[in-house]
Amino acid sequence: MAGATPQPPDRIALSLAATREGFAGSFDELRRGLDALPLDARARFSAELVFEEVVANLVRHGARPDGQTTLSLDVELRDHDVQLTFQDDGVPFDPRDRPDPAPPRDLEHAETGGRGLMLIRSVSTALEYTRTPEGRNRLTVTVSRDATARVRMSDGARSGA
Amino acid sequence: MKMDITEDDGVVKVGLVGRLDTPGVDAVEPRFTAAVVPRGARAVVDLSGVEFIGSLGLRMLITIARALSRRNGKMILYAPQLFVAQVLETASLGDIIPVQPDAASAVAAARA
Repeated sequence: MAGATPQPPDRIALSLAATREGFAGSFDELRRGLDALPLDARARFSAELVFEEVVANLVRHGARPDGQTTLSLDVELRDHDVQLTFQDDGVPFDPRDRPDPAPPRDLEHAETGGRGLMLIRSVSTALEYTRTPEGRNRLTVTVSRDATARVRMSDGARSGA
Repeated sequence: MKMDITEDDGVVKVGLVGRLDTPGVDAVEPRFTAAVVPRGARAVVDLSGVEFIGSLGLRMLITIARALSRRNGKMILYAPQLFVAQVLETASLGDIIPVQPDAASAVAAARA
C-alpha cells in the first residue's frame, strides 16, 4: 500500500532445543527480536530476566533425559505490558506455588540456588500456568511496560488457566 | 563475557564486562574461582560493566564469596548498574556480600 508507514513488529516467536547450546543461541535471537520492539530499558531487562530464568530452569531441571525436549516462546507487545508465553514438552512443572528461598541469614548458610522464580516474580505482574491436554507445560508471564514500575507480584496475580 | 584480573597491594580486582546470564557464567566462573579462591584473596568485583545478571550469576557470586570466607578472604562488590543492583536487592545479596558504590570504598572495605 503506497504511502503506508511501516509499523514496528509487536510479536516475537522462537523455538529452541532445551539444551545449553540451544539456550545460548536462542538468547541471541531473542535479543535481536527485542531490539526491534519499542520497549523501555526496564521492560527490556525484565523480559530478558524472565527468559533467562524460565529457560535455565527447564534446561537444568525440566528437560527429559532423552535430550529431545523443545521449548517455544511467543512474546506479545501489548498496550501496557509484554506477555511472554512459554510452552515446553518437558516434565510437568507448576511454578506458581513454589516458595521463595528464605532470606540469607549469613554467607555460610545462604542457599546458592532457588532464586530464579523469585526474580521472575519480582519483575512480573502475573504468572499463569497450565498443563495442556497435549501434555505440554504452558507458562505465561506478564511484564509491565510502565518505565517507572517496579513490581512485586502479589499472590493474587498467580493464577491457573 | 569478559573478565580482567589485576592486583594492587594485596587486593585482587576483578572487572566483569558483559552479561552474567547462563552462557556468561559458564564463560567466567572457572577462571574467576581459580584466580581468587585458592589464595583466599581479598577481592573487589567491579560490576559497572555488567549489564545483566540472573540467578546463576547470583549463585556464582555466593559460591565464590563463601569459598573465600572459608579461607579467610573476602569479596566486595561495587558499582552495579541500576537493574543489576535491583536484582541484588531482590535477592538480599547485600546482606551477605557487601556492595559498595565505587572502587575506593570497595578497596577500603576489602582491607578492613
